[in-house]
Amino acid sequence: MTEMAPRGPAILFEDVSLTLGRTTILSDVSLRVQAGRIHGLIGPNGGGKSSLIRCLLGRAPHGGRIGIEWPAKAGIVGYVPQALDFDRGLPMTVMDFMAAIVTSRPAFLSPKASTKQVILGALAQVGMQDRAYRRMGALSGGERQRVMLAQALMPAPDLVVLDEPMAALDREGAAVFEQVILDLRRKGVTIFWVEHDLDAVRRLADEVTGLSRTVLFGGSPDHVLTSEQVLNLFSHRAGALS
Amino acid sequence: MTGGFEAFRQWLQALAAGGYLPPSLGYGFAVNALLAGLIAGPMLGFLGTLVVVKRHAFFSEAVGHAALTGVAIGILAGEPYTSPYGSLFGYCLIFGFALNYLRHRTGLSPDTLIGVFLSMSLALGASVLLVLAGRINVHILENVLFGSILTVSGTDITILAIIGLIVVTMTAVFFNRFMLASFNPMLASVRGIPVKVLDYAFVILVTIVTVACVKIIGAVLVGALLVIPAAGARIVSKSLKGFVALSTGFALVATIAGILVPMETDLPVPSGAAIILAAGCLFIACAVLRTLIPSMRGESQ
Repeated sequence: MTEMAPRGPAILFEDVSLTLGRTTILSDVSLRVQAGRIHGLIGPNGGGKSSLIRCLLGRAPHGGRIGIEWPAKAGIVGYVPQALDFDRGLPMTVMDFMAAIVTSRPAFLSPKASTKQVILGALAQVGMQDRAYRRMGALSGGERQRVMLAQALMPAPDLVVLDEPMAALDREGAAVFEQVILDLRRKGVTIFWVEHDLDAVRRLADEVTGLSRTVLFGGSPDHVLTSEQVLNLFSHRAGALS
Repeated sequence: MTGGFEAFRQWLQALAAGGYLPPSLGYGFAVNALLAGLIAGPMLGFLGTLVVVKRHAFFSEAVGHAALTGVAIGILAGEPYTSPYGSLFGYCLIFGFALNYLRHRTGLSPDTLIGVFLSMSLALGASVLLVLAGRINVHILENVLFGSILTVSGTDITILAIIGLIVVTMTAVFFNRFMLASFNPMLASVRGIPVKVLDYAFVILVTIVTVACVKIIGAVLVGALLVIPAAGARIVSKSLKGFVALSTGFALVATIAGILVPMETDLPVPSGAAIILAAGCLFIACAVLRTLIPSMRGESQ
């Protein structure tokens, strides 16, 4: 199967730092995400992975520079968060939620037939089309995570940012997820992926960065994910840097 | 607009005189109250769905209760007893904005922060009322605090209609964005939604409806009509469509019942209290229905 030329951007982090109050969350983080590649970001809890994503998406007041180098004009960014903070008893179906994401027509009105087709298409990509009219709160954590992945596919993205998308997935969900991100890469989409499952990163990522407040290593998973490096990363105390 | 309204009111009064409508609608003030209720009820029920979606029930109640202090300050500053709109709007807006501002900066959970603000506001209100007690008959304030059907004028209805149009339009147009911003601010932001602006816009919407509904429902009870119909609708609905339709419908029914029943039965109950009690009955009916009918409990988790 041939890969298309990258339509996604390269991302350059240069000396990115983030301090909240007196706590240093990120310090001198520099790395490059190649266009059209899957770039895994791993590290211990509290190591700053999600914070780096917040910086990338403009939601944290960081120092340093983050440059998104689009091939032509700025494209579409899809984002898959770790979780949604909503009332589980809310009478909101998967279709309602997806309609709220993809259109400005109020979600309490039935979506237009064309919108419905787009939504069902995105849900089909993650194997959730038969759950379209279930309540969001009645889905399992893994099913909800698949819906979150589906929303990032509407409209077709050029850059996808994933924040631990596999945390709640069962085996079937994980297989669907892997298929979707490999399809995206084939289309030339850039994928920046925070993940805790090192085996999945080894299988899928083209590049991986180990982050614990600062970058500890980076490169091809085959080369850098050695037992020694991983042990060092997860036993690294970010505070020891100061 | 006022001429058309007058003609409409006289037409309703003629229908009541002819026995086609409840006899209490033969009075002009009763028709005014009913028209105000027909606008205020659905507006509150509709906006209330967002209050429940955003889990802002306590916040809306707090803004309503802040109105007590707003009214007291207004009268102290020389505004009319029956319509201290300026201070009511100003104080509620400051209260809501300050709460929202500090929520993002203190790291306190919203309920703790609202608890602090509400207590402080009530203490201030009680102090000002004590000062006022020496100057005016504070029982006059009951109309503003708990609603009265006697005080609604044609101008009030016109203002209410304009505000109703603005609030309903804003709520409908930004419904999806308000909802997504509360579910996950970062996802909303990636989707181009101005999360912070919407946070403050919501405070303004709640404040505007609180002020607009003060005559018919009362400053203290208006927050309840933002919460109770939507809470009832939430527990028996299966989709957003049903949720919004039922909430709006419940608020409409409660408002009409709360205005007409006391008049028809000569009950000496303020309209605001009667409206909230009617809404409460609907909520209890929903809760009982959900308990009795298994299919209403939704799908298993």
